[in-house]
Amino acid sequence: MDRIIEILKSVHPEVDYETETGLIDKRIFDSFDVVTVVGELMDEFDIEITAEHMVPENFNSAKAIAELVENLEEE
Amino acid sequence: MSFISVDFALFVTVALILYYVFPKDYRWVILLIASYVFYGQSGTDNFIYIAVTTVSAYAAAALIEQMRGRAEAYIRDAGKSLSKDDKKAYKQSAKKKQKIVLVLALLLNFGILAYVKYANLAIAHINLFRLTHFGSTDFIPFRSVLLPLGISFYTFQTMGYLIDIYYSKYGRERNFLKFALYVSFFPQIVQGPISRFGQLAPELFSPKDFDFSRIRSGFYRIMWGLFKKLVIADRLAGFVSGTMAQKETYRGFYLILAIFAYSMQIYGDFSGGIDVAAGVAEMFGIKLAENFERPFFSKSISEYWQRWHITLGTWFKDYIFYPLSVNKTVLRIGKSVREHKMPALGKRIPIYVPMLFVWALTGMWHGSEMRFVVWGLFNYVFIVLGTELAPLSEKICRILYLKEDDVIMKIYRAGKTFWLMSFLRLFDISADVGDAFTAFRYVFSGWGTFDIVNIYENLNLPMEDLIVAAIAIIIMFAVDMAARKGSVRLRIFSLPVPVQWVFLSLLIVAVSVFGYYGPGYDAASFIYGAF
Repeated sequence: MDRIIEILKSVHPEVDYETETGLIDKRIFDSFDVVTVVGELMDEFDIEITAEHMVPENFNSAKAIAELVENLEEE
Repeated sequence: MSFISVDFALFVTVALILYYVFPKDYRWVILLIASYVFYGQSGTDNFIYIAVTTVSAYAAAALIEQMRGRAEAYIRDAGKSLSKDDKKAYKQSAKKKQKIVLVLALLLNFGILAYVKYANLAIAHINLFRLTHFGSTDFIPFRSVLLPLGISFYTFQTMGYLIDIYYSKYGRERNFLKFALYVSFFPQIVQGPISRFGQLAPELFSPKDFDFSRIRSGFYRIMWGLFKKLVIADRLAGFVSGTMAQKETYRGFYLILAIFAYSMQIYGDFSGGIDVAAGVAEMFGIKLAENFERPFFSKSISEYWQRWHITLGTWFKDYIFYPLSVNKTVLRIGKSVREHKMPALGKRIPIYVPMLFVWALTGMWHGSEMRFVVWGLFNYVFIVLGTELAPLSEKICRILYLKEDDVIMKIYRAGKTFWLMSFLRLFDISADVGDAFTAFRYVFSGWGTFDIVNIYENLNLPMEDLIVAAIAIIIMFAVDMAARKGSVRLRIFSLPVPVQWVFLSLLIVAVSVFGYYGPGYDAASFIYGAF
């Protein structure tokens, strides 16, 4: 989780990722930010994020991203 | 049948009465019949196109789910007799077969769209090629069928559904007729919005009780849409096309004015049309996706595109941009560039390469001519420049002691975006790419003879049109500003009833008295209806 927040902070340092649950819905992250984060996640955790994972629900909060990463690590 | 006609008003009234008279379980049937009656009015020849899309998407979705179900059952039944890797391999091979079904359905439907949109252009090029290279006058005849109503919109909406089914975002619609309604729902067939199944299906298939406040609210929105369309867009249309047609005469100031006026015209036309669609749907208790969010208040072109024609933008983002940005080949190229000591460039590849496709396709979606592709690519270049120059612009702001949220900065940025977007629309209102560049050149000439004292004398717009359009535009922006703090309609409805009547009467009077019903202009047609 800490590493995920670190990645997120590198894109938008001003956000409180412990509480924010609307990164996509509130347009805090635009598509550029999402793709940047996805690239970092794939490198860092050696996972494969594909088109079907690219839905707002998976990127709305640090917690949702952590769950996505966890699920993909298990696969 | 046009949105702006007595026929349409009668049609909606009858449909509404039947809708609310019928039991809730059958109301969607009324909507389906209404949608097909509406569609049939545009020409019965067109039924074949929408029928092929409906049937092929329904069948493909059924097939994909069936294949997935079978694969899952096989893995489940096999239990521990299959290793984890075997299961994964089996799943992947099943997914591949599902992908074939998906791709075939996409090829068929986008193939039809490409055929009806681009066939005549291709024929023209072939004929020209044969004439210039072989002197052949044995021309291939043009195909005569007009663009089937709403084909760009319903094709995108239906293919989005199919991709979602492939990604298992939700279960498919099993009732064929309900699915046919999703494809053809009449208020949005002419010019969108391009809805998503997950959002629209519950609205269509879970009818709400009759509530007069919804009819009232829908009516307000329809009238507001007509105001934007008839009082602003249609009143400016003649001025814009007239000035563009004689751009050599109207070079300089008047041309700039026409370019800005076209921005107002197309916003009034498109967002007004969407308001009518959303208002009609609201009367049936159905909420459509919003397509505009005060685009002219955007601080950058990238933000503008998140607020203008939102449903098309999100379609391209979800179904083209994201899939390409996580595409293995794109990622591999990005990684390899990063490892070759160009980390900054490598990082940008998964963003800028997919975006290039998105903009070329967005251009093509708007029209078959080259000018639309060029328009798309210019948007791309400006977005890339805006992103890359952002750090520099922040630096300049710091040097000048300006802050991001200073009012002056906001006005400057919104003004700059408006200016750029308006000029890009030259490709929209010019005959071809060369013509657009000629118009752009004319903007900078003719200033020597510009006579500010007699500024009105040379304006190609009657005084009454100028006054009406100017006041209407101010009202439109005032309402847009007010909408930042929540729905304007809800605020009106919280006022005393007599005051509400005053607002409504003013709106009706404005539309009926100041709406443009002049000769020689087809008030009924919408610009986006042609896409």
